[in-house]
Amino acid sequence: MTDPTDVGGMDEDQALAGELALRVLSPEDEAAARAREATDPAFAAHVEAWNERLGGLVEGIVSVEPSPWVWPRVEAGLTPPANDNSVVFWRRWAIGSTGLLAASVAAVVMLLAQPAPAPIAPAAPAPAVIRVATLTLESGAAAMTLAYDATSGELYLAPTNEMAGDTRVPHLWLVMPEGGVQLVGAIDGSTTSRHNLGQALFGPAGHANAVAVSMEAPGHTPAPDKPDGPVVAQGALQRL
Amino acid sequence: MSAILTRDELALALGRTGEGDRAAFRRVYEATSAKLLGVTLRILADRQLAEDVLQDTYLTVWRKAGSFDASRASPITWLVTIARNRAIDRLRSGAAMRKSTPIDEAVNVIADDAPSPAQALETGDDVRRLNDCLGQLDDRTGGAIRTAFIEGVTYDALAVRENVPLGTMKSWIRRGLMRLRMCLES
Repeated sequence: MTDPTDVGGMDEDQALAGELALRVLSPEDEAAARAREATDPAFAAHVEAWNERLGGLVEGIVSVEPSPWVWPRVEAGLTPPANDNSVVFWRRWAIGSTGLLAASVAAVVMLLAQPAPAPIAPAAPAPAVIRVATLTLESGAAAMTLAYDATSGELYLAPTNEMAGDTRVPHLWLVMPEGGVQLVGAIDGSTTSRHNLGQALFGPAGHANAVAVSMEAPGHTPAPDKPDGPVVAQGALQRL
Repeated sequence: MSAILTRDELALALGRTGEGDRAAFRRVYEATSAKLLGVTLRILADRQLAEDVLQDTYLTVWRKAGSFDASRASPITWLVTIARNRAIDRLRSGAAMRKSTPIDEAVNVIADDAPSPAQALETGDDVRRLNDCLGQLDDRTGGAIRTAFIEGVTYDALAVRENVPLGTMKSWIRRGLMRLRMCLES
């Protein structure tokens, strides 16, 4: 009797590799084939070749734009490169941008000694965790104070008149302990404002250790991880 | 926030990701996340689960990018393989409650009609060739292979769906795969 699954003299390994790549095997058969893949490089190469052959089938699938919170969660899970940290980032950035600074607002090159991040309480129905920061200019003058409720996502901004009259648009950034920055968005530099950060920034804002302001050209939105305009103010985020 | 990268640009960005370059990783994400969410959503039929798996997928990409070899794999296929396998693992772990009707609804409601950046990533020739070769199989076989790929279903489920014995479905697909291989390599 002929086995209906006989591939007629064809290479059995090739067929099995194709079935594994396509993921049609039963759990038991798949486990056995995976074990083979892990220990037999020739078989593993067959599987890889099948992935390549079948990859074009993805053309039949409609793309769907992910929600904005996916990237911040991915980023929050990355292991930090050993040679990077926020102080280095900002120092480099401040040096690089000095020439761009407009006279209306002096540059911040002063790096505040950053306190160790406040211990994050274990997830529980916690009372409001308020974090505050005073953002200062290079001159030492306060540019803005900020309060953030890490449990509700409410953000309160109170600028001084130091940024008044500037035609550029201030943008607020989170400085992450593992390095890099995350854009919060454009803010009003002339008057107090309230925002809710929502899901996308909840995580990053909860463990950022400093905030900063860059001045961007009107109508321009910088990349979410790098300001294009000069950074004019920054301050450590501290727990109230 | 989508960026269009050519295949070479994506391969380069993926290579840099393997060296720990976060900006390059972000470019990879922007160019490919909509396509990969399409893949995970088609399999899981639940947006929340599909986005959870998408997150896992990119964390895996970050860790494994160093092993990506542009001379052996197309970057988008390498990424799709990770996303698809993760979604199928999740589906079969039982975490996904697959409902009876939601696939088309889910996709119709949220499908982005804009041209996909990932469309620029596959070289048109490869896709055309695959389609030509699939077209040479009989309709049932070609259809079963497509369904298995896109929905992540096993021989068992395919046999039930087509109302044929399990052995028949295995035979169709195994023979189909072998013919496909010969056709693609001819």
